[in-house]
Amino acid sequence: MLKILIPTTMLILATWLTPPKWLWPSSLLNSLLIALTSLLWLKNASETGWTFLNPYLATDPLSTPLLILSCWLLPLMILASQNHTSHEPINRQRMYITLLASLQFFLILAFSATEMIMFYVMFEATLIPTLILITRWGNQAERLNAGTYFLFYTLAGSLPLLIALLLLQNSNGSLSLLMLPHLGQLELTSYADKIWWAGCILAFLVKMPLYGVHLWLPKAHVEAPIAGSMVLAAVLLKLGGYGMMRILVTLDPLTKELSYPFIVLALWGVIMTGSICMRQTDLKSLIAYSSVSHMGLVVGGILIQTPWGFTGALILMIAHGLTSSALFCLANTSYERTHSRTMLLARGMQMILPLMAAWWFIASLANLALPPLPNLMGELMIITSLFNWSPWTIGLTGLGTLITAGYSLYMFLMTQRGPAPSHLLALEPSHTREHLLIALHLLPLILIITKPELIWGWTA
Amino acid sequence: MVNFAVLAREHWMHILVPMGFVIGWYLDKQQDKKLTAFRNKSALYSRELKPGEEVTWK
Repeated sequence: MLKILIPTTMLILATWLTPPKWLWPSSLLNSLLIALTSLLWLKNASETGWTFLNPYLATDPLSTPLLILSCWLLPLMILASQNHTSHEPINRQRMYITLLASLQFFLILAFSATEMIMFYVMFEATLIPTLILITRWGNQAERLNAGTYFLFYTLAGSLPLLIALLLLQNSNGSLSLLMLPHLGQLELTSYADKIWWAGCILAFLVKMPLYGVHLWLPKAHVEAPIAGSMVLAAVLLKLGGYGMMRILVTLDPLTKELSYPFIVLALWGVIMTGSICMRQTDLKSLIAYSSVSHMGLVVGGILIQTPWGFTGALILMIAHGLTSSALFCLANTSYERTHSRTMLLARGMQMILPLMAAWWFIASLANLALPPLPNLMGELMIITSLFNWSPWTIGLTGLGTLITAGYSLYMFLMTQRGPAPSHLLALEPSHTREHLLIALHLLPLILIITKPELIWGWTA
Repeated sequence: MVNFAVLAREHWMHILVPMGFVIGWYLDKQQDKKLTAFRNKSALYSRELKPGEEVTWK
């Protein structure tokens, strides 16, 4: 564990000591080195599932894929941000990389924490660098509003969780993740226990986000700089899913009844946010709403608590993390050229940047869950387990996937096809850096097809 | 002729991250040894180690 954490700390130090000329190449290479080292976590020889133990941190099959995703994303964020920060003062650039590295540090601690309170503290700590990223590097004045939404939605959701966790600590004497599954069923009968249940799960539902408490997400995505959008879509939302999977084991008898409205809301959200995507004009907002839609499916998969549901949720989280991050990068390449997120103003890009159109095509297909990509594997497992829970859900999930296919194609057709508008003829050609960036997103996604058990979680 | 003094002055900070990895790897190994000692002694897992065997699991 420390063999990743200490280099990450050193990366922050190196960022401030490197001469300006070498700042971006060296931080890119260093973070890539850390990402490659993190692949060591995949080797799990322990019979208990928990490995790389120390008294506070450990990995298990559930956290390993998310940890590696967090590490993998840092070099990608650095690669994506080089162009738009290049005009800024050097110390501001250093600060930017420092924030990204500190975010990775907190995320690793959050995903590998063996104690719920430590997870909670790190869950909250990730808010700080993200908030600074959104409010200081965003493009428009509305970023302050987006930052407020982001901060207060998450904080208001997670304060009840702190109380709920302290209560659990009080009654159990331990919040260790290694102990929680073995505590046996709690006596949860009173009305207050139901409120406690809601307190435990609300923070994660807001973070996912569940339809109804999702309004902070499109705002944050639209206003954040590219790295902020990438990490938000790829990893920060997954903190919610991860936390929910961890806490659900203790909430056992209550979840069966109480989760009903939340599953309904999540599935309804899949359709509603999908429909919102169908009439979006803003490219980043469309991708943000598509994240809410996919996460609705993940919430459904987690809340029914079957092994297939959990596995499907984990697969979909990883696959969606890579896909939506790639889509945000693609949206950024067109934003950096046209300086607009409006899809109508940047049509016919296929004629101008044909290779980029190929990446758009693959990323759109991944977003609509084309077989045999892991996106399909995840969705299929969740839909199957939901169908097993209640056959009526197939109406909602089926319509949801249809709409997903619809808006993914809409996004592709709107941005890439059609006649190129005359004001767009003199665009900068695409850079090798941008192609590398998208390739590094989609390559892991394609490689996972060949060894999906890496992201199966405990079922593998 | 490579000027090593200039090279070291300009690039010494690039060694920080690899150095962090080595330190982390060493500390992890120390921790593993400590936990292994506990586990080999625990009532649940303790047994006579076979020749050449280091730990009671795997």
